[in-house]
Amino acid sequence: MYKYNKRWVYLFIVPTLIVFLTFYFVPILTVFTTGFTEWNGFNAPKFIGLANYKMMFFDDNSITVSLINLLKWSLIAAFIHVPFGALVAFIMYKRPVGWRFVRGVFMIPNVIAVSAWAIIYRFIFNDQMGLLNNFIRKLGFSDFHTNWFFDRQYAFSAISLTWVFYAVIVTLLVLSDLMAIPRELHEAATIDGATEAQIHWRINFPLIRGSLGTAVILSVIARITMFEAIFLTTKGGPGNSTYNISVMLYDGIINYQFGYANAVATVMIILGIGVLAITTKVFKMNKSVYN
Amino acid sequence: MKAEQWTRGLVRVISYLVLLFTVCISLVPLLWIVVSSFKSNKAILNTPFALPTDFNFHAYYAVLKMNNFLSNTFNSVLISVTSTLVALLFYALAAYSFAKFDFIGKRILFILFSVTLLIPGHATAQPIFSFINITGLYDTRLALIVVYISAGLAVSLFILRASFMSIPKELDEAAYMESASFWQVFFYINLPLAKAGLATAGILMFLGNWNEFFYGFMLTSSAENRTLPVALQFFTEQFSYNYTQLFAALTLVTLPSIMLYMVAQEQVQQSVVSGGVKG
Repeated sequence: MYKYNKRWVYLFIVPTLIVFLTFYFVPILTVFTTGFTEWNGFNAPKFIGLANYKMMFFDDNSITVSLINLLKWSLIAAFIHVPFGALVAFIMYKRPVGWRFVRGVFMIPNVIAVSAWAIIYRFIFNDQMGLLNNFIRKLGFSDFHTNWFFDRQYAFSAISLTWVFYAVIVTLLVLSDLMAIPRELHEAATIDGATEAQIHWRINFPLIRGSLGTAVILSVIARITMFEAIFLTTKGGPGNSTYNISVMLYDGIINYQFGYANAVATVMIILGIGVLAITTKVFKMNKSVYN
Repeated sequence: MKAEQWTRGLVRVISYLVLLFTVCISLVPLLWIVVSSFKSNKAILNTPFALPTDFNFHAYYAVLKMNNFLSNTFNSVLISVTSTLVALLFYALAAYSFAKFDFIGKRILFILFSVTLLIPGHATAQPIFSFINITGLYDTRLALIVVYISAGLAVSLFILRASFMSIPKELDEAAYMESASFWQVFFYINLPLAKAGLATAGILMFLGNWNEFFYGFMLTSSAENRTLPVALQFFTEQFSYNYTQLFAALTLVTLPSIMLYMVAQEQVQQSVVSGGVKG
């Protein structure tokens, strides 16, 4: 055994530990505890029990709207976003002509700032000069006019369209799982007379459930934290039809309702953990795939 | 047999249509922005699908000459680069200890650090907002540097720990035999060999910081301290009906991310799979 001073090992952890304590540990404790207080940041927090939660769930309908929106967006994530990303992965797995190009291009919307993307979409859905309306007018509906983000009927769908088909993360996760499947499995199945559909359904599909589960978790958590796509387009409106929990938290903070904001943040954290627990169970992610 | 060929052909056609669709939705919005930035305001409104008739960079000059655009760009570069480098150093140090040594509290610390991945990004916003206010850092570049350092903790730690683990311990032992110090073994032997992991984690964190909006927006108030993604929001108000300049600004803000991505495609895609963040 070689000699080294054990103190170094701990010293190397210290910077990360400081970051952890300052930006995660203490903040999370603050969030959990001050959620039970009335606090504006200037006076000392005053303990008020469950009053924030009571107000949130019974007096103010923002959380109800936010949770319903979250549920709808989560369903869209689980049943359109993730399947679409997985479909693209299955297509790419066959390595059709140009698949590398498509994979490269598909990633671009995810590497640019979400705020820029939201603003671009604000113009795509603009009534007068927007790409979408001009396209529809070009198709022959020459007097078509809709201001997508500001029309109660369409705002929710418009927000959904800014992310629903941009599923490159799902594609990359599923693709890397697909590529890890041993070739012998497919060869053996073909020899046994399995059709391609059967190979997909019986072999590939069960083996990629881990990445599908990860994809669902990531995209639902992204719905919980979705901020720019709403804040820079509809601001939660019209009315509160596109409101969500992140915008709600932001509003609480800038209005110096810190206690209330942290009650909202607590709900947010619980939701995140709940999503993880449920998805892990549904996709049997805690069980080994190959055995 | 005939029927089977038919279905095969059909599957093929549909596959290519799906791929074409993904390319369109990814490129058309950006191409529209870039093309429109060379058109007049009138042309944007009247002939939205036409190509620009007269090719010039007037809008770009105008944006670059604007009071704060260059200082916003400078802020973005300074903040993203500094926070990424500091974070890389911090997390490389910790990852090295976790990867190569046993010590008391190792398991619990690693679990605690990993759990931060489960906290939805903005949930801790109020305490961080107050912390920045109390320390007097509100509306400074340092505030964003400090907050961004914390952003990539768990994922970077995973990526870097894995790369240090793959470096054989025999190398370290040989160096210790030659009486190298702990720091030397880390800095001269392990760090260079963990290059790939450092690049992956670094690019992931840099892109995250370069594109960050929420804290950038909440922790700054004056125009000259904003980063580009935040400034963009104010440009849209400032330019309100000058679409040409607005599209030029959008192009200038998105271009660096796309260029970095083109240079480091493999690492970016790799980091998505190993980190699985953002989306």
